[in-house]
Amino acid sequence: MATDSGSQAKAPARHFGRFVDRLSGGAAMAAEVAIEWTIRLCGWSAILFVFAIFFFVLREAAPVLFGKLDLVEFFTSTQWQPTSLVKPRYGALALIVGSLSVTGLAMVLAVPLGLGAAVYISEFCEGKVREVLKIVVELLAAIPSVVWGFIGLMVIGPLVMDLAGAEVGVNLLTGGVILALMSVPVIVSVGEDALKAVPDSYREAALALGASRWEIVYRVLFPAAKNGLLAAVLLGVGRAVGETMAVLMATGHAVQIPQSLVDPIRTLTATIAAELGEAVAGGPHYRVLFVVGLLLFIISFIVNLTADVVVKGIKGESRN
Amino acid sequence: MPELCYRVAWRRQQGDFQAGEDFASFAEAAAALWAWQPQSETSVPSKHNPACTNAVEIWCCRQGEEAAVAPRPQYRFVVYGKVSGGGGDGSEASPWWGVGEAITGLVELHRSGAIALQPGQRLRLCHREIFATSAGQKRKAQAENIARMVFLAMSLMLVIPVAAILTYLVIKGWPALSISFLLENPQQRMTAGGIWAPLVGTFFLVLISLLVAAPIGILAGVYLNEYARDNWLTRIINLGVVNLAGVPSIVHALFGVGVIMFFAELKRKYGVWVPFHDRCLLAASCTLAVMTLPVIITSTREALASVPMSFREACWNMGATRWQTIRTIVLPNSISGILTGVILQVSRAAGETAPILLTGAVFSVPVPDHGWRAFVPYGLHDRCMALSMHLYTISTQVVNVPEHVEYGTAVVLIGLVLVVNSVSIGLRVYLRLRKKW
Amino acid sequence: MKTQTEPAGRLSSASAASGQIQQSEVHIAFRNVSASYGPVVALREVNLEIYRGEILGIIGPANSGKSTLLKCINRTIDFVPNARVTGQVLIDGQDVLRLRNVYALRRRIGMVFPLPVGLPLSVYENVAYAPRRAGVRQRHELDAIVERCLRQAMLWDEVKDRLDILGTKLSGGQQQRLTLARALSLNPEILCLDEFSIAIDPVTTMRIEDILRELKRRVTIVLVTNLVQQARRLADRTAFFMAGRLVEVGSTETIFEHPQCELTRRYVVGDFG
Repeated sequence: MATDSGSQAKAPARHFGRFVDRLSGGAAMAAEVAIEWTIRLCGWSAILFVFAIFFFVLREAAPVLFGKLDLVEFFTSTQWQPTSLVKPRYGALALIVGSLSVTGLAMVLAVPLGLGAAVYISEFCEGKVREVLKIVVELLAAIPSVVWGFIGLMVIGPLVMDLAGAEVGVNLLTGGVILALMSVPVIVSVGEDALKAVPDSYREAALALGASRWEIVYRVLFPAAKNGLLAAVLLGVGRAVGETMAVLMATGHAVQIPQSLVDPIRTLTATIAAELGEAVAGGPHYRVLFVVGLLLFIISFIVNLTADVVVKGIKGESRN
Repeated sequence: MPELCYRVAWRRQQGDFQAGEDFASFAEAAAALWAWQPQSETSVPSKHNPACTNAVEIWCCRQGEEAAVAPRPQYRFVVYGKVSGGGGDGSEASPWWGVGEAITGLVELHRSGAIALQPGQRLRLCHREIFATSAGQKRKAQAENIARMVFLAMSLMLVIPVAAILTYLVIKGWPALSISFLLENPQQRMTAGGIWAPLVGTFFLVLISLLVAAPIGILAGVYLNEYARDNWLTRIINLGVVNLAGVPSIVHALFGVGVIMFFAELKRKYGVWVPFHDRCLLAASCTLAVMTLPVIITSTREALASVPMSFREACWNMGATRWQTIRTIVLPNSISGILTGVILQVSRAAGETAPILLTGAVFSVPVPDHGWRAFVPYGLHDRCMALSMHLYTISTQVVNVPEHVEYGTAVVLIGLVLVVNSVSIGLRVYLRLRKKW
Repeated sequence: MKTQTEPAGRLSSASAASGQIQQSEVHIAFRNVSASYGPVVALREVNLEIYRGEILGIIGPANSGKSTLLKCINRTIDFVPNARVTGQVLIDGQDVLRLRNVYALRRRIGMVFPLPVGLPLSVYENVAYAPRRAGVRQRHELDAIVERCLRQAMLWDEVKDRLDILGTKLSGGQQQRLTLARALSLNPEILCLDEFSIAIDPVTTMRIEDILRELKRRVTIVLVTNLVQQARRLADRTAFFMAGRLVEVGSTETIFEHPQCELTRRYVVGDFG
């Protein structure tokens, strides 16, 4: 019976003098207009806040960004010495490499695991088992990042020291493992959505041709859902790049380009969290940290935009 | 012309063929098959062997010569063990359904010249259970099972380590967990005592951020699903929601700090009233609110979209305004879905550290142990403690904290988050059961 | 029941107040009405008059603009994205396409849809929905309205002991009658039905047809139907639409017995559609 989606409710066509209509009719109409404008303002809030975030971060970063900060040094030097009394230097290359390397390692671990779990939940299990697994993944996603950092520090760190002979428990490997465990739920849920979005008719057609379920997965589903799966991976990357507390606690404090998997590193996010508290408000260190924040904002903006465009790709196709 | 003779040979299972008697004519050789019928070793129909294993062959060779037969049979016919009805031609597609039919068929085929055995050639008669998997199908089934195991292993690799870690945390933190742990304030520079002050702080942070984010988020969801038209503005707003959801948590903190600085400057220069001008509970809550906003918006939209369009149309046709329809039909029927999303964000706000790190949560705030102030220790403009921040503090900034206190704090935080999430999941399940249409 | 006060005299009809319905008085008039959804044209230059107190049957094959016509009467075409309407739709002489207070208009027109819709409220609240929105608060007034409408819709006996069950739990036929009861709850002057019988059983269809015959004098009924025989049974006059154009309109007898257009003749005998 009533199963159509209610998501197409739209406003009256402009053709009929909608605002003129509303203005007449007394207090009831006026209340309706007031309510609609309140709702409309709330609707614009998301976009307002995105702009606001960009604006306020830029505002704090601006004096240094358009001033004394040597951007070349910022992007190419590994000398991050903001508290030096002699000559403070703001080379963020090691931090950038730190963020990229821990994210990369996390993705190497998380993408196969996450996509595999997504395939399993979507294609190979039914009923109760599926429900339970989905709930487990959701609960996994709910674990706070500070707890993950704690786990990295206290549990995974010592394990890595024992098994991999690391000198310090907090390093790239620990951080990568923890970030992987944090990103997997995102990859699983978005990936599972993408696989579910492939119409059943594809599966049925393949079954009729005698394909086994595994063949259906790699011959039919992966190609058909590749946009959504790509979006899942991108969102996982976004999550990993933006993570702060877990990497702050689990990767260590050495600002250096890692030479091995068990070297301690520092990411862009952890740097801000660790140093902003002590930086003099309004001073150059403080402002450079805001520049780092701006960089993070831009990176995550691009990743999310790409993921969104990629997802729109599947929505557009499935409508055909 | 040397005379031809026909020899019957049989094979049991996958063994070698053993030759039997020679016969002068094909018909006699075929008849001999039937004679062997009752003998279990040589019989063609084999109930216990699926796939083509037992087989009987008729070899053609010159009289007196030793059989030098071709390695592969020239003709190959199938007898199915369990086909019922209709005769066939002995091919795989339409097999004979019994040995008797097979023999009759063979003789007929030979007489009509459809099969003509030359010296050195073989004719094979074999049995196959109907609906048995061929070798190819078996391979496929095996591949599928392997794939299933691999993917299951991947899922378990996710679940089991995490379950193990969580169990480990609980075990290590167990000594600390008690009611007094929850109700006492941290003592002796956090090396003893409980977590009351941070717990209360988290409570108020979440409460105030919810009071700010929920109305805005729900109304924004209402706008996007009920009022917005399909134009460029709406697309930009959707993009904004997605991007807001993806902003790193530390950047939210920077945003908070930037706003605090801005307000402080406004107040300093122009003396206007501002909601806050320094790090405080209110600033931290507002930062959390901005962080949780996008998910509330999205889950509200989904909840509203699940209400069928036909209900709205029915109301509009009766003269109800858009808002009346939303207020009386759409919102009441989507409230559970909205609540699910809001509750999920409660747990997220309780667990986040970075946004509050620089905007209002601090290392330590003295909180009274008794009296009503113990329950409302922080004013809106005071700095506060928070459970997530507390965990960070005691595990990285404070020395000599007993291990079980650290683990206990982590367990309480996880427990809090998991309980709230379970409420949300339970609400969703309850929703599905109580469908009104 | 109190109806909402209107800007004086514009939509209320003097002759209705005097208690005498004149058959030939024009209630609704379409003047050169064209409607399109983006590039798709739904109505072309429609000129049609509907008289007070009659049942006008509108027949025609699919996509001939019949539903669009109804949507123009109560302005629900506003809710269709990209819809454009030109021309005039006059109800009692007033052009509703230029009207400011659409909600008052919609309260005076009842609409029944093809698919039965029960709102997820109790049966009582379903019927009381429109009166409540219009400002009726008193319990005894609402009780009276609910009973009257459910009786008119021939649903009272079936639900009178369980007025609190959810409207969505009724059967299809019951929901369609519930929709009718809702449509009648504000004493509308016009009742529009858009292929009301396609999703319900023949028994319910018959009952609703009886209801329509009873309502006829008091309410102007515009009946869109794809069942030609239904128009023949019920309608005083019939209009035949095709591809957005009004092909022919006249008394039902004329349309069915000796239609003037060849197209009309072929449609009513079932050659196509």
